[in-house]
Amino acid sequence: MAEFKKFDQKNWVKTNLNYRKDSGSWAWILHRITGLALMAYLFMHIYSLSPLSQGREAFNEFMSHYTTPFFMAMEWFLFAFVLFHSLNGVRIVLVDWADGARYHKALYRYSIVIGVVMFFAMGYVMFSHEIHKLFK
Amino acid sequence: MYKHQNSRSSGSFSWVFQRVTGLILVVVMIGHYILMHYTPESGHSYDAVLARMQSNWYRVLDLTFIVLAMYHGLNGVWGIFRDYKLKQWQAITIMSLLIIVGLAFTLWGIKTILDIPYVQTSTSELLVK
Ligand code: HEM
Ligand code: HEM
Repeated sequence: MAEFKKFDQKNWVKTNLNYRKDSGSWAWILHRITGLALMAYLFMHIYSLSPLSQGREAFNEFMSHYTTPFFMAMEWFLFAFVLFHSLNGVRIVLVDWADGARYHKALYRYSIVIGVVMFFAMGYVMFSHEIHKLFK
Repeated sequence: MYKHQNSRSSGSFSWVFQRVTGLILVVVMIGHYILMHYTPESGHSYDAVLARMQSNWYRVLDLTFIVLAMYHGLNGVWGIFRDYKLKQWQAITIMSLLIIVGLAFTLWGIKTILDIPYVQTSTSELLVK
């Protein structure tokens, strides 16, 4: 029998990239990345809401930088992170606590379908006003 | 299926609570996103926020949100650090930093919400500059 290889902590990026991955390992890696990104966003969010304390002018002036098409698109992509992390979080809980191991492959597929649908639905909510302006 | 181990004695409170907060956050988070983008203004203008904050329900919702998200997020970050063999001093330093930074930002966010004035909505322009 091949000797059991110890997990190499120093080279964990390489270790994580090298083993064979199925859907579950990707889910685990992406859950981490999206979780960390949301945490980073939360810090920025609290900072960027702070001009609310200084009244209307200050806040609207601050926000005017972030209502450009670029930032609107970024907010949409952020929703993809939110969706992945939430749906996968629910999936983890179901697999552990609701006997989801018996149907985890199906659960994975449903999550992806629900996620894609919700992503585009949110896109419609976010951009419908612009779309309506184009086609009236 | 495995029967649950006694979760109270095995230090897994934070693990269970990570899931419980996560499940609550799904609802709050998706609601937040829809609300904040329902119109282009609703998430990006002072008046929209001011109008919402006239209701204490929204204030309580936001305060719950910030506390849960901050706990869940930082507990998650701590969980990632715990995957590595930390020396005791490293663990203590990281844990303290997370707690201090987390508390500071949470209080800052709470202050932001509580600072928003109550006004009579129909004449809000006259009462708040
Ligand atoms: C929107 C609803 C959310 C759900 C359903 C959810 C669910 C979960 C669950 C179940 C875990 C534990 C994973 C495990 O047991 O291995 C987790 C981990 C984590 N969550 Fe969330 N979460 C949500 C929102 C958030 C938010 C808003 C943040 C950031 C502020 C965040 C940051 C994290 C981090 C950093 C981890 C640790 C990741 C890891 O250990 O690899 N989550 N989440
Ligand atoms: C990009 C889309 C988003 C927009 C436009 C947005 C906008 C806002 C606004 C205007 C507020 C002020 C309070 C209110 O009106 O209710 C607020 C509060 C809040 N948001 Fe968001 N938000 C977004 C995404 C997020 C995400 C992804 C998170 C979680 C990581 C989040 C977490 C919070 C929290 C915790 C509060 C309460 C803040 C406090 O207590 O000071 N938001 N958001």
